[in-house]
Amino acid sequence: MNENLSLVGQEISGCEILNKVAAGGMGAVYKARHKALNRIVCVKILSPALANDKKAVELFLTEARAIAELDHPNIVNVYNVGKEKGYYFIVMSFIEGQTLSALLKRKKILPIGLVLDLFEGVLLGLQAAHEKGIIHRDIKPSNILITPQGQPKLVDFGIAKKVDKEKGSTKTTELAGTAYFIAPEQALGRDIDTRADLYSVGASLYYVLTGQFPYNGKNTIDIIQKHINNPVPDPAKIRSDMPGWLSLAVQKLMSKNPDDRFQTAKETYLYFKKMRAEDQLRIKMGNSGPAIDLGEEGPLKIVKEENLPTESIKKQRAQQAPVRKQQTTASSRMPLMPQLDAVPDAAPSAPRPPQGPQEPVKMMTADEVKPVNVFQPSKKTHSFNLRKKVAEPVGNSIRLVTNLLVFVPLFMVFAGVVSFVFYTLGKICSVHVVSHAGLLYNLVAPFFASPYAPNQLLAMGVAAVALVFVFASSSVKAFSHSTSLLLFIAFISYMAGLFTPQVPFMQLSHMGSYIFTPEYYLCYLVFAAVWAIGLCWRMNRTAAQGILGAALVALMMVLSYLSAHLTMPPDPASVFAKVLFYVSIFCAVLGIYYLASRKTKDKILLPFVMMMAGVVCIWAYSVSGLVGNLDTTLGTLSRKVVVRTTESVESNEKMEKLVGLDSRRNAFSTLDKTNELTMLSSEEAFNVLKGRIAQGAPGVFNEETLPLFTYLLLNYYRGGETKMKMSVWDYAITFPIKNFNQNAQHNNAYFFLLTILFVFGTITCAGTIFFNEEL
Amino acid sequence: MSSFDIEFAAVTDIGKIREKNEDNVLISSDLGLGVVADGMGGHSAGEIASSIAVSVLAETIRKVNNHQLKIPDNFLPKLEPAERKLLMAANLANAAIYSTAQSSDVYRMMGTTLTGVLFDKDSVTAVHVGDSRLYLFRDNKLVQITTDHSLAMEHVRRGLLTRAEADHSKIQNVLTRAMGIKKNIEFDLLKFPVKAGDILLLCSDGLYKGLSENDMAEILRTNAQTPIVKLCKQLVRISNDHDGQDNISAVLIKILPAQKLSFTQRVKRFFVKK
Repeated sequence: MNENLSLVGQEISGCEILNKVAAGGMGAVYKARHKALNRIVCVKILSPALANDKKAVELFLTEARAIAELDHPNIVNVYNVGKEKGYYFIVMSFIEGQTLSALLKRKKILPIGLVLDLFEGVLLGLQAAHEKGIIHRDIKPSNILITPQGQPKLVDFGIAKKVDKEKGSTKTTELAGTAYFIAPEQALGRDIDTRADLYSVGASLYYVLTGQFPYNGKNTIDIIQKHINNPVPDPAKIRSDMPGWLSLAVQKLMSKNPDDRFQTAKETYLYFKKMRAEDQLRIKMGNSGPAIDLGEEGPLKIVKEENLPTESIKKQRAQQAPVRKQQTTASSRMPLMPQLDAVPDAAPSAPRPPQGPQEPVKMMTADEVKPVNVFQPSKKTHSFNLRKKVAEPVGNSIRLVTNLLVFVPLFMVFAGVVSFVFYTLGKICSVHVVSHAGLLYNLVAPFFASPYAPNQLLAMGVAAVALVFVFASSSVKAFSHSTSLLLFIAFISYMAGLFTPQVPFMQLSHMGSYIFTPEYYLCYLVFAAVWAIGLCWRMNRTAAQGILGAALVALMMVLSYLSAHLTMPPDPASVFAKVLFYVSIFCAVLGIYYLASRKTKDKILLPFVMMMAGVVCIWAYSVSGLVGNLDTTLGTLSRKVVVRTTESVESNEKMEKLVGLDSRRNAFSTLDKTNELTMLSSEEAFNVLKGRIAQGAPGVFNEETLPLFTYLLLNYYRGGETKMKMSVWDYAITFPIKNFNQNAQHNNAYFFLLTILFVFGTITCAGTIFFNEEL
Repeated sequence: MSSFDIEFAAVTDIGKIREKNEDNVLISSDLGLGVVADGMGGHSAGEIASSIAVSVLAETIRKVNNHQLKIPDNFLPKLEPAERKLLMAANLANAAIYSTAQSSDVYRMMGTTLTGVLFDKDSVTAVHVGDSRLYLFRDNKLVQITTDHSLAMEHVRRGLLTRAEADHSKIQNVLTRAMGIKKNIEFDLLKFPVKAGDILLLCSDGLYKGLSENDMAEILRTNAQTPIVKLCKQLVRISNDHDGQDNISAVLIKILPAQKLSFTQRVKRFFVKK
């Protein structure tokens, strides 16, 4: 990456690069040997960072060529310019001497005669450049080289600087020019001409004569602003052996207004010559020593300035600044400061209120807060809105209805197709379900067992296409919120197909008669629980949300109490009103929470919860079905297998018809405690019970199911209802897949979930259309 | 995090003539952070500087929040936690840019502006360096909160130029402070309370060059109900139509009252994609 380093030893334009002399932001300067001429030259390479900027390169080359044409003894010679090996370069003469600033640092004080000799040379070189229309832009002691013969040479013509400036809108942290010597108009970003160089000559002269910068400050900005604003300092105050004319000439060069300066380098040069000649004459005539002599020109006004506060000096000297073309006379009292509240004829010495940087609001000038604008346009928009009110709603509502009519049925059909495709796939895959294998195996295996079902591949292909469509549908804005729902519909459909092969797809329409049956308490329970937990997890929840969460938890507890009686089979004649009540409360709370959720994570949580709920519900339902079947079996076996029909059982049967299921079970459980099976060991009891079941209810169980029910019943007889239930759950947890189809005939849990998803999806789709203006 | 409901939107556009976008924007509702950085310098380095700025800033704040990073105890202990967090993140970002800039000639001289806001309870802490701006729109008035660190604006502050002159000045692009130029730089740190209904606008210079503050205020005033994403796009588009000489970036942050939306608004919010 360090391209410039690697240049050492290379050859550019016939020059062998020897070593690096200096490096700056715009490029690097190398000492090099020109092979053909066998002399030491200086090669300047444009920074590779700028080499891609066509405009920058063009300016670099143009100005370098212009300087090459100059050929002046006081300007460094340019031999060649161009591009080689991807580098833009300038070959210049190598000057062995030192810079003026280095000389000053070494000698501390330079004789005035020497300084004037050097600056006359500088002015001559500058004049030649100015005649060609080249502005140096960065005159300073370190850009004035002095050859061993004592000849000054101007270097570093503002090549790169101009490039920097002309790039216009490119941001930079460097201002063309050096803060200590910068002309006010340059510092203000105004258009500059050759007279800006004369200011810098004046400032450099000040520095070289006195050893001090004309303005010092705590930072660059401060210095720059003093150039713009502060009174011109008098060098004679620091260096007393200075002739008065020189002090005044320096001040004249450093006038804020370019019109007040010497107008050309030549004029300055001639003035210097003339005044030095006069000095010589005066010395000869014995009238030596510094003398204040304004001369014929008398262009400068001397202003008392010591001990005044900066602010007032600023104001006082504002008149010197190059602001106005019209009033350049000293009598002008117009302050320079563009303060909006400034009174034009304020006394110049009055300190103006401090306008510190701590008051950014003050930057809001009166221009920006015109109160008129507040009302004017709002009137306009009001009348515009009136027209809108008449015209737009009609068009809008037509568009809305059209959108609803097109997209909602489209969604319903689309969702139906997706669920049918995945249901079919699940059904085909169900052929391969192995009842003794684990859950994971049964979920994954069907996809790889194609030899048994020839059209499985086709179904999988169609399903894959359907999935692609589902994802593609997210780009349709009306469906954009339903994508995740569609994915869950696909998943649930597949599960439904996989585990309920007996039920045809369109039995979906029957599910309405099952949704209020007690089994679904479990489904609701899972929904409520996960949501409640999700709500409690929310950060920074408000009191209202806390109450909502507590309500959900309470509801969950009610529902879990109800679902504790898992043994009830699906029964349409159950307590309809009661269930409806709980369900409606549940849905209302759920809906409020759903709409109140603000954060994305809540919205992600919902679909995730639905997915989890689907899985858990199916599993729980399978357990519930198992217990349901067991319950039926209990009723049968209680009469036929375990106990003989007694009077109490008969009376209980009568009561059962009057009251309901629970009384039968209660009556039954009192009998259990004393039955003969409790006296036997586990193995013996198991075998006895197994034999009795086979005898008493032949054909009800096959070889696979008989041991299971024997085991469960045994637990019932030996430990009561609670123990039996525990053993059912224990069993279901241990073998989740084995009895998935136990409840198959009534298994509408999948379809219940499918319907919920379908309705949610349709509502979401309609809502998206209804509320989205940018469909 | 904030006790308000805050909506964020950010748009950045390459403009009409630039070959690449050196601006970088970042919004994070998790962190409550919005940042605009406008890179400069070098032929490929501007966007690198600005992307380092936003990513290091956000990453540092995230790490401090997650207790993966601890602010040294002696780091400006008198400031409030949010201020220390933001300032340290900005300092780290500056160090990262500076060291990258020193690592190669291609990156040398690269730098970036940075204007970022961090929400904390009822107030906003802003860190600022360069000529990107932070505006506060409140009671139908747009007020510039930050002060540009450009030479032109320094002149305005001293009363050497008027705002109008500065807006068309050649030295508007001369920054007096920027990240990545020096090892240690001075950041402006501001803290001010916000209230519901406020809109914060962070923008790079491209936006305000093509769009006057009056026009910005007018757009914000007349489109109070428009979703801020749309509004943000609109601001950038209008500025681009007027000027387009530079990359244009804008971050809009709308502060909404917590828990005070009407039911229909919430229903609408749920369905309308952000």
